[in-house]
Amino acid sequence: MTADARTDDHPVVALTPRPPGPRERPARPRGQRYRRREVLLALAFLLPNLVLLGVFTYRPLLDNFRLSFTSWNIASPTAEYIGVDNYVEWFTSSSSQTVMWNTVVFTGAAVIGSMVLGLALALLLDQKLVGRNAVRSLVFAPFVLAGAAVGVAFQFVFDPTFGLIQDVLGRLGIEAPAFYQNPRWALFMVTTTYVWKNLGYTFVIYLAALQGRRAELDEAAEIDAASTWTKFRRVTWPQLRPATFFLLITVLLNSFQVFDVIHTMTRGGPLGDGTTTMVYQIYEETFVNLRAGYGATVASIMFVALLLITLAQVFLMERGRQK
Amino acid sequence: MNALNRRTASRLVVGGLALTLLAACAGTGSVETDEAPAAGTTADTGEVESLTFWSNHPGESKEVEEEMIAAFEAEHGIEVNLVSAGANYEELAQRFNAALAGGDLPDVVVVSDVTWFNFALTDALAPMDELWETVGVDSDGYVDSLREDYAFDDGHYALPYARSTPLFYYNKDMWEAAGLPDRGPETWDEFAEWGADLQESAPDVAPLVAPDGSNYLDWLFQGMIWTFGGAYSDEWEPTFTSDESVEAGEFLQEQVESGNIAISNDSTNQFGAGQAAAVLASTGSLGGLTETAQFAFGTAFLPGPQPGVTTGGAGLGIPAGIDQARQEAAMELIAFLTDTENTVTFSQATGYMPVQKAALENEDTIAYLEENPNARTALEQLEVTASQDYARVFVPGGGARIGAALDRITTGGEDVETVFTELEEETRTVIERDIEPQL
Repeated sequence: MTADARTDDHPVVALTPRPPGPRERPARPRGQRYRRREVLLALAFLLPNLVLLGVFTYRPLLDNFRLSFTSWNIASPTAEYIGVDNYVEWFTSSSSQTVMWNTVVFTGAAVIGSMVLGLALALLLDQKLVGRNAVRSLVFAPFVLAGAAVGVAFQFVFDPTFGLIQDVLGRLGIEAPAFYQNPRWALFMVTTTYVWKNLGYTFVIYLAALQGRRAELDEAAEIDAASTWTKFRRVTWPQLRPATFFLLITVLLNSFQVFDVIHTMTRGGPLGDGTTTMVYQIYEETFVNLRAGYGATVASIMFVALLLITLAQVFLMERGRQK
Repeated sequence: MNALNRRTASRLVVGGLALTLLAACAGTGSVETDEAPAAGTTADTGEVESLTFWSNHPGESKEVEEEMIAAFEAEHGIEVNLVSAGANYEELAQRFNAALAGGDLPDVVVVSDVTWFNFALTDALAPMDELWETVGVDSDGYVDSLREDYAFDDGHYALPYARSTPLFYYNKDMWEAAGLPDRGPETWDEFAEWGADLQESAPDVAPLVAPDGSNYLDWLFQGMIWTFGGAYSDEWEPTFTSDESVEAGEFLQEQVESGNIAISNDSTNQFGAGQAAAVLASTGSLGGLTETAQFAFGTAFLPGPQPGVTTGGAGLGIPAGIDQARQEAAMELIAFLTDTENTVTFSQATGYMPVQKAALENEDTIAYLEENPNARTALEQLEVTASQDYARVFVPGGGARIGAALDRITTGGEDVETVFTELEEETRTVIERDIEPQL
């Protein structure tokens, strides 16, 4: 006897095997048929995204790696293969050290600054304060502004002749730092501007994490008369770890790739490379020095660096979760 | 049901794969076929109906550009789409570079003194000489030195449009308060003396402000280095370390250290706001300063002893990648925008130099100069203008490289000879690596 049976969760299967007809394929094991259909469906749904990723992300990525081994004037239709010369040049150039240092300082300061300040603001605005919703909106607003607009606006803050800081310090009898002429102050200026712009992002993530924490733990700490610092360290902070890991990855990746603020405020200067980070070097080499091949090399090195950083972070996060 | 699911899934997979293949096969550039006319060209006659003009509106010229374009449209019946394609020459060049790789080229593009050469070297711009003959442009009508700035390899790759020279602007009130005559200093030594007087008269104000290396100090210092008898290069041979060039660099450094010259990221506005007694700036700043400055100011040549009238600014080029009909129509537009009447209009609106010889005897120009004597300085400079040094304008990244070196000796206080020696080596390396193989 041959019979079909259907369950809620499984496809139709033959209970008793029967010999295959002339146009029928041999019956396959149940798991294999199930897997094939699922795979086809999954592929069908994934394909549009894979196409987009392939065309707009991975193909340019591979193209970039290919170009990194060439000497290519960006206006020229042809590129000349030069092997690893670009890589050798970058790793042996003294300017690369400055660029790396700027990148590390900018990224480190931006990550630490925006996360610490974002957490502080989130803790403050998590309290029941009058007008906190309005203040929350104000804190978040800069994040949605264009970086170029923020850069231009902050020129009026740091301008040595007309700027807000110059004006305030002048009233106190203090001379304003040479923000546009001293590389350290220039780096401080662009970092501060970026932190101000990015603060809303870290703030809103931390605020969401704070509002999702377990209230009974807070109450237990209060019953035990724990101090504010102890309560934060022992109760609140452990619950913020997932958000902190998430922010660490996203803020670091975003800070590493900042271009707009630097371009509008300093164009990578002063003194040539005072605020030139890796992303800005890619731009300068490609569009100013017209060395698109060398720019592709810097981009490839940056991609590998970001990949390694991300893998390390994910590894650390997994290990933290297991603990 | 199972079969249907599989069929549906299979179709989706096949469709998706087809889409993938189509996308993967798509090129990154655009290809025009003989069957379809180019955008803005009629199918039956091949006549050009519209043109695209990429500009960064040098000297805040958008309004006057729109006026000239309206007149062209009325006269020629060709619509012109004026596109703001960048905030400055560099951004405009970057967009043009992207268009060269990705298609969607304009018909006319503003190319600066620094950007045009690389486009000519890589055959991205069309040589104009034949187009001049086809359209009937009188190329001899253009000021010779300005026209010849765009000559390369037996051809011309742009026509002068918004051309400038460096000027010495001074605040007459501050000059008078310091007891100085109503003129610019004739030599840099005289300026050094006057700088001390100005500092004494107004201690909180810089006697002279100049832009930093990110804001075209490299262009202005080129004029200064010439006045000392030096140069950035002798054609393709860098000359930063010649005695005269080093002397000019050391003079600049001394003047910055003594407080006679201030380096600023916003020098023209600083002068316009009365925060500096004088400024080194382009003739293209004349229109803006005339409108905004709340005080009387004068203009003069850069101090000598020798003339330091380097040309600058921008011309108009035509991409090599558009078809012949469009190139000819683009040439007509360029000829119109730079004819005597329009160059006078443009010059008066912006402060840039008129590019036609006939403009100098034009009635409007004469009347305008009587009313605006500051504009006369730029015209008087025309006779002594000279093309820029290759190391700045033809070597990729030359301007930025020299600007960074000047920052190091001015705000960084580094030893001039050391910095200029490094600059010379870097420049020579770039020439040998990026230029010589293509020449």
